[in-house]
Amino acid sequence: METHGQQTTVTRYDRVVVHDGAGKRRQLSRSEFEKLPLRERVTYLIGGTAEFFAGTEPVPATEAMKG
Amino acid sequence: MNASVKPIDSISAAADAVVGRAEARFDAHRQEILRSTDRMFAGLLVAQWIFAIVLALTVSPYAWQGKVKTVHVHVWAAILLGGAITCVPVALALLRPGAVLTRHVIAASQMFWSALLIHLTGGRIETHFHVFGSLAFIAFYRDWPVLLTGTVVIAADHFMRGILWPESVYGIANPEWWRFLEHAGWVVFIVIFLVLSCLRSYRDMRVMAERGAELEALSENQWRNSSVVDRAAAESAARRG
Repeated sequence: METHGQQTTVTRYDRVVVHDGAGKRRQLSRSEFEKLPLRERVTYLIGGTAEFFAGTEPVPATEAMKG
Repeated sequence: MNASVKPIDSISAAADAVVGRAEARFDAHRQEILRSTDRMFAGLLVAQWIFAIVLALTVSPYAWQGKVKTVHVHVWAAILLGGAITCVPVALALLRPGAVLTRHVIAASQMFWSALLIHLTGGRIETHFHVFGSLAFIAFYRDWPVLLTGTVVIAADHFMRGILWPESVYGIANPEWWRFLEHAGWVVFIVIFLVLSCLRSYRDMRVMAERGAELEALSENQWRNSSVVDRAAAESAARRG
């Protein structure tokens, strides 16, 4: 998150890479990730197995969830 | 954490707990909206009752009997019929707030109030606007089926009274047979947008609850990845308040 005086900007992620238990990686768009069942999203977030990206730049999960 | 619990089971259990709390928060939020809207209608229905009695005592005899002031039958209609369509929904709002039956009875009663006010004013077209205001209030529930109850009640009222007592609803003795369809059409027009608004609002409430769950999941992740020293410091800080 960048802060410019009073104004706060949040980097919006557009891509998510999730890792499931079997070591497989899946790349999802933001809308695909948001359409996953809540329990699945929460499981990725608790396990830290979701990586968020804005283009090619990684976005910390805490920041991604704000944007 | 118990050493015998596999990490994946532990994550799964934590996810279930987080999702369960999100559902509980969503349900609590929705119940609060339903109950507060029930309370609002309890006040509105009583206020309408008082208004209708005052209206019948002042405007209605003029509307129907020229300048002669008498205790018109409309005064009794406002007191007794108004009381009947007020008492049941108000009792439900106070005794069973948030229940499905309560809001459907309230929606029907609110439409009966529109019908009674239209009757008391001799079918004045301006009083028909009460229907649209009532539908907007009913949309406060953010529960679209309640709008359908209101729509069916007011359409049926216009249809029946249009046949049996057209002056009471349109202010004229011989309206076209399809006049109720014209009124119902405008009601359906606004109800479409109110239903869409309810659905959007419901979706937004769901998104808010899910966003809370995601933030809680991140917090859980940070807790799991923190050291024992960090956790002890956090607990100590929490105890100090």
